[in-house]
Amino acid sequence: MSQTKLWWYLHVPQLLLDEQLSLQSKAQQQQPQVLCTSDGQHRRQVVQANRAAVAGGVRLGMAEVTASTLLPDLQQRDYNEARETQVLRRLAQWLHQDIAQIALYPPQGLLLAVHDLQRMYGGYAGVQRQLQRRLRGISVQYVVAAGYSPLVARILAQSGKNVLSTEKAALQQALGQVPITQSLLPPHQQQQLQDVGIEQLGPLLALPVAELGARFGRSMLSYMAQLKGELLPPQQWYRPPLRFRERLDLLTEVASWQQLLFPLRRLLQQLEAFLQVRQLSVTELALIAHHRDKRQTFVRVAFALPLWRQRDMLQLVQLQLERQQLKTPALELSLRAEDFSAREAQHGSWLPAQQDAHAQRNEQRQLQALVGKLQARLGEQAVQQAQLAQDWRPERAQYWQASAVDEQPTATGANLPRPLWLLPEAEPINVSDWQLQWGPERLQSGWWDGQSMVRDYFIALDRWQRQGWIYRACVNEQSASNEQWYLHGWYS
Amino acid sequence: MAHPLQELVHKGWVWQGREAAEQLAPDQLVSSGWAELDRRLGGGWLRGAVHEVQVQHHFQGELALLLPVLLEQTKPCLWLNPPCQPYWPGLHYQHLKQAPLWLQEKDQKQALWAFEQALQSKALGVVVAWFDSIDASAVRRLQQSAAKHQQLAFVITPWQQTTEARAYVNRLQLSWAAEQLQVAVLKRRAGWPLPAFPCNIERHLPERRRLSA
Repeated sequence: MSQTKLWWYLHVPQLLLDEQLSLQSKAQQQQPQVLCTSDGQHRRQVVQANRAAVAGGVRLGMAEVTASTLLPDLQQRDYNEARETQVLRRLAQWLHQDIAQIALYPPQGLLLAVHDLQRMYGGYAGVQRQLQRRLRGISVQYVVAAGYSPLVARILAQSGKNVLSTEKAALQQALGQVPITQSLLPPHQQQQLQDVGIEQLGPLLALPVAELGARFGRSMLSYMAQLKGELLPPQQWYRPPLRFRERLDLLTEVASWQQLLFPLRRLLQQLEAFLQVRQLSVTELALIAHHRDKRQTFVRVAFALPLWRQRDMLQLVQLQLERQQLKTPALELSLRAEDFSAREAQHGSWLPAQQDAHAQRNEQRQLQALVGKLQARLGEQAVQQAQLAQDWRPERAQYWQASAVDEQPTATGANLPRPLWLLPEAEPINVSDWQLQWGPERLQSGWWDGQSMVRDYFIALDRWQRQGWIYRACVNEQSASNEQWYLHGWYS
Repeated sequence: MAHPLQELVHKGWVWQGREAAEQLAPDQLVSSGWAELDRRLGGGWLRGAVHEVQVQHHFQGELALLLPVLLEQTKPCLWLNPPCQPYWPGLHYQHLKQAPLWLQEKDQKQALWAFEQALQSKALGVVVAWFDSIDASAVRRLQQSAAKHQQLAFVITPWQQTTEARAYVNRLQLSWAAEQLQVAVLKRRAGWPLPAFPCNIERHLPERRRLSA
């Protein structure tokens, strides 16, 4: 194994177009498509072209007019560097699952520090396999080249040379053949070198450095040192963000949430990768549909239990979206998540007591999953579970919680024969229809919060032989004559 | 064209004796908690099945009838569209182990969807659902789902006037006579319908006595 420390540079020449193509159907991908830029007053020219366009004779750098004459059904879109940089950042995040040190070279390059990964993946070949496996998941055209300095790797990759040799000599040889126009030197220096007859990097490397420095200045000295691997400038490594914010261009206007599910799957896949790297889970996320007039539709999605798999999240988001309507068509879709929680360790145990606890936790998780699913489709308030509260007033002796309760019921002080049902509002009744059976139980409470009550509760039978819980509201102690009776609950 | 007899079998009007010979594992049956009812149902409620309880009026005693089964559950039960708010202090007094999950959904289609989801989950005890009416195909679907996931479920509906067949395993009809809850078996596994018999559900209700006015 060579002792030289190596860098790899990943060049993605068609990143933005690849990203757009990956969102299209197979049939759409077969259409010739190009991205064009216009450099100010000059003509617009093709900067990225898909396979169908190239097959039709379109070349990069060709004028847009020429290209559309060649292929009348050519689809043209504007190239946007800022957006491509975003995509690059997402790519870095994707690769960050395997590679810790990545530096961004926007808009189309990533520098990977692979030297320290050899032990983990089993040599450079192992790293290469891992990288290829990871990139196969997303359809991106790329060139990877190795270099004994970051600059060398970058020059090789950008000139389209797929050299992943570990031998310095082989890399130097490949470098020697790179034309000066791809040397990444400033244009005026390229011109100067070409004027003295240096067309490739090989002859340049053969020249004495001191003389070059005298002729071209300090920047040339530093460039030559990097080219020879003597100077390794520090890199700004990519740090993945702690919140998740991704945005996808939909290319066409989309009129319903159902059509957004496919792009959404990609966003959730990104989120899964994001969560996987950090061993986090998420309980809440926000979906934002961006409309043509800059307005946004915001949908908050909450899960009853922490999730991190794309499959699980998609299922719940899908259920939630079935209730929503998209009022105006969307042009872009973004996904945001900020609330993360560490994943709970899930491992069984050999000890019987702990096995029980494990089974119980498992059951609890299943219950939360069910509640989450029901709430996603029916709304958060649709499923509730009661909790006991310490209050004498019957309507306050329990409260409802929108999620499944973890704890066992806590014992209350009083254990009284309460009904199994409670009416949401006490119903006025005519007491002569009822046959009193048990009572009274006087409840006098709530004087401290302004909702005081004095009631005499009875258990009584109605004419259908049903046992009800009825009460007499006592306004004051004396007036017992024309009092109002209410039905408040049912037994059985 | 099917044989006319086939049609009758399909409608559930013909009882075929071979089902009686069918052997059930003991854990397939859940005791209803009422000896008389167990005897009539051939051992108790069949697990992996939906049972129907028809009531003349809500709160007539249907919950007291189901209470023994509910008390056995260590997992929470789901109450789907109950006629009013379940009261946990009262249920707790009856020694129910877990507060019920209360699901309220007006749209029948959504409610049936939720019912099916609940039947598929292993995290729940018994599912009890209240429906005013429910069509035959929905019942068949629920029954299949319950059988597949071995869940026990009850549907409580008002008295049905029509005699249209439903895929429920047992169909009971509750009424009140002679100060006792009467349970008629309209349909049961491997057997003819049975006339009403009194069921002593009082042990789960407050004591009945006349108050001296």
